Amino acid sequence: MPHQIEELPALPVPRLEECPFGPPPEMAAFRERPGLTRVRCPTGITAWLVTRYQDVREVLGDSERFSSRPGQAAHVLAHMNPDLPIGEGEFTRMDGPEYQRFRRHFGPEIGMPKRLEELRPTVQRVVDERLDLMAAAGGTADFYADFAIPVTTTVIGGLLGVPYSDRKLFHDSAAAMFGSATSAGGLKAGTQPLFEYVHGLIRERRENPGEDAISRMIQRSAGAAEPFTDTELMRMSAGLLTSGWDTTATVMTHGLLALLSHPGELDRLRADPSLVPAAVEELARYFGGAPGLTREVVRDTDIGGHPVAKGDFVVLAVQAADRDPSAFEDPDRLDVGRPTDGHLGFGYGPHQCIGQQTARLELTVTLRTLLRRVPSLRLAVPLSDIRFKTGTPVYGPAALPVAWDAILPAEEGR
Amino acid sequence: MKVTIDADRCVASGMCAYSAPEVFDQSEEDGVVVLVQDSPSADQHEAVRTAARNCPAQVITLDQ
Repeated sequence: MPHQIEELPALPVPRLEECPFGPPPEMAAFRERPGLTRVRCPTGITAWLVTRYQDVREVLGDSERFSSRPGQAAHVLAHMNPDLPIGEGEFTRMDGPEYQRFRRHFGPEIGMPKRLEELRPTVQRVVDERLDLMAAAGGTADFYADFAIPVTTTVIGGLLGVPYSDRKLFHDSAAAMFGSATSAGGLKAGTQPLFEYVHGLIRERRENPGEDAISRMIQRSAGAAEPFTDTELMRMSAGLLTSGWDTTATVMTHGLLALLSHPGELDRLRADPSLVPAAVEELARYFGGAPGLTREVVRDTDIGGHPVAKGDFVVLAVQAADRDPSAFEDPDRLDVGRPTDGHLGFGYGPHQCIGQQTARLELTVTLRTLLRRVPSLRLAVPLSDIRFKTGTPVYGPAALPVAWDAILPAEEGR
Repeated sequence: MKVTIDADRCVASGMCAYSAPEVFDQSEEDGVVVLVQDSPSADQHEAVRTAARNCPAQVITLDQ
């Protein structure tokens, strides 16, 4: 059936100034409408918009029918061109066994909760040091720039053995990768310095391995069924560095804003800190997946009874799906004690968020420590004065001014 | 409760070992699920159900 592109509705994208915690309000109407709606995306592609929980879970869970080939965010990132061939080691666009080969190689480095437990004391130290610096600097700070970004940057850099002083390389690559308007040329320019730097690390660590994830991935590659090329190892390492800090820092900041704006929920956590892991899952459900995900239909099929054709694009509105009342009771309410099993905040299916276990660890340690050491933490400006990032689908506050009466010492507060 | 796994499809997300560490482990080599207990005790059932529901690759099957 031909579609007049100009007549299609635009894909609704989050407007946090208007709706600071939620998907754009019109998502609910799309979810309630039978079938699927074809929409025009900011990058110019047209796609079926999928908003219901069961449908989103089904599509993300079935890579045989719904491929990642276009790029995970081809609907919102201009540089993700579905027509481009998949580059060497560009695993985020692969499916099936080809993708699994990569996933199982970096999985043990950042996807094993028992190994990440060994990282917990390091994360605790980084969090405590940042709070000490905030305490020394005065009674106010920008939680995003002064805490969240340094903490997540230090942790991902530490995992891969990249010193904090070299962070500009992966901060710049992330700015290019997650800039909505970045062109193909801009992406290359923004990522090339990091790619060259990581290539250098791989050459060095092949000769002199350290205790870091890059060294271990090099060593394990030799024993793999199909060993990895240097470019493939570089892509995995650079991908973790590029994607492993601002995503977590943003949800940490947005999550803190939500909790400070819902004092009743914060009081529940103060009264019972054992709720913190559940609160982290609730924050993931509440905010996760706000940009949505792209898939391409592999063969003629249907989604929830609505036919879709081979080659069609599909946009999964993950945050809207996690606000589907058929999946979660009173879904727009932030409830740190609610059951969250099956939430899609880290995505679902083979491409589910690679860094989710690291993110859980960082968010859990941060929340516990804030409750303990900064009980007087509060917003320094009204919610209506908070400004949000623009030009990126990593949606969240551009800054989070916070204030406190005292920051308790790490030892004393413990 | 009887637990079976289809490790061929596992993507090493770590969700099972996070939800029910007494029942699921992961290989050090590739992060793939290792079933520690195929008949978990009753106090583990809720955690195992969470693990099965949250497995992104639908690798875990529960009988009961």
